[in-house]
Amino acid sequence: MYGWIWRHLPGPTAVRAVTALLLVAGVVALLMFVVFPWLEPKLPFNQVTTE
Amino acid sequence: MSTVDTGGRPVESPGQSPLPGDTDRVRAVVRGLGELLITAGLVVLLFVVYEVYVTDLLSAGKQREATAALDTAWNAPPDPQQPEQPEQPEQQRVEHFDGLAEGRGFAKMYVPALGADYAFTILEGTTERTLEIGPGHYLSTAYPGQPGNFSVAGHRVGKGAPFNDIDLLNSCDAIVVETRYSWFVYRVLPKKEEVGTWSTGKAVDPRCNGVSPLGAPYNNVVGQEIVSPRNSGPIAPIPGMPGAETSVGEQVTLMTLTTCHPQFSDRERLIVHAVMVKQWAKDPAHADVRPPELKETA
Repeated sequence: MYGWIWRHLPGPTAVRAVTALLLVAGVVALLMFVVFPWLEPKLPFNQVTTE
Repeated sequence: MSTVDTGGRPVESPGQSPLPGDTDRVRAVVRGLGELLITAGLVVLLFVVYEVYVTDLLSAGKQREATAALDTAWNAPPDPQQPEQPEQPEQQRVEHFDGLAEGRGFAKMYVPALGADYAFTILEGTTERTLEIGPGHYLSTAYPGQPGNFSVAGHRVGKGAPFNDIDLLNSCDAIVVETRYSWFVYRVLPKKEEVGTWSTGKAVDPRCNGVSPLGAPYNNVVGQEIVSPRNSGPIAPIPGMPGAETSVGEQVTLMTLTTCHPQFSDRERLIVHAVMVKQWAKDPAHADVRPPELKETA
């Protein structure tokens, strides 16, 4: 998977490395700001109120 | 040397394996699976970082904004039309809690036993959005200083974790609530194991002045309890007796904190009950005077 991505990145090694880092940063941001906030209330470990 | 075309892939030298194409495919699948598993592990780790650190950062900003908004509201004159009405100061300096909007800050809480800098703005309501900002007041429970049970929920993990350490509160520890015009000092009630020996034990501590096991119908109300999440008893006017009918005049002025238990789980709820022992009206001429209980940091 990662090998496949690396092979399909364009440019010389330095450019590929920068692109790869940007991709990782993008995925992390997507997880932190979109996926986790959506997922978090559905998980059973931070409900603090009584019914 | 001749080459055989096997779908564009370079052919390994013959002799290592009778079926080089199959081995390659197996290897690719195993590697892909391994990479997926490692990725999943990293995502879970990242989620822990999010839950424990990132939500703290986000909530700290929201809590700061809520506190700033509350300070602005408190410093504004009560009635913009008539800012100067010194002849009726008594009437003006009365708390108004009715009509508070969900998520609006209306009080601050201090727990000196958890640190001199322990201060949170309490907001109206207990929705997810509100609790991200800070501790939230259960709608329909009493307000600070009123007879009944002023109940507040707070997160224990992430989101600023205001109630992370409330399991460390001991009986008689002060929970000071500041409203626009008053300071209310609540103290944690005796714990279950202390009730029997209270009068000869902890009651001699000067801090415990005004704190003692409550009489009927409050016999079962103790400083700390752990309950099922389905149990709405702890936030009832008489904790543990949700259906009990008592007139407001007969009710003790209590405060209740609720959070999840054990830490990192919401299987149960940790409950802390406190009773009001003192209240001060703020003096507009000496706005910076603070109750001595705030210094009980030891």
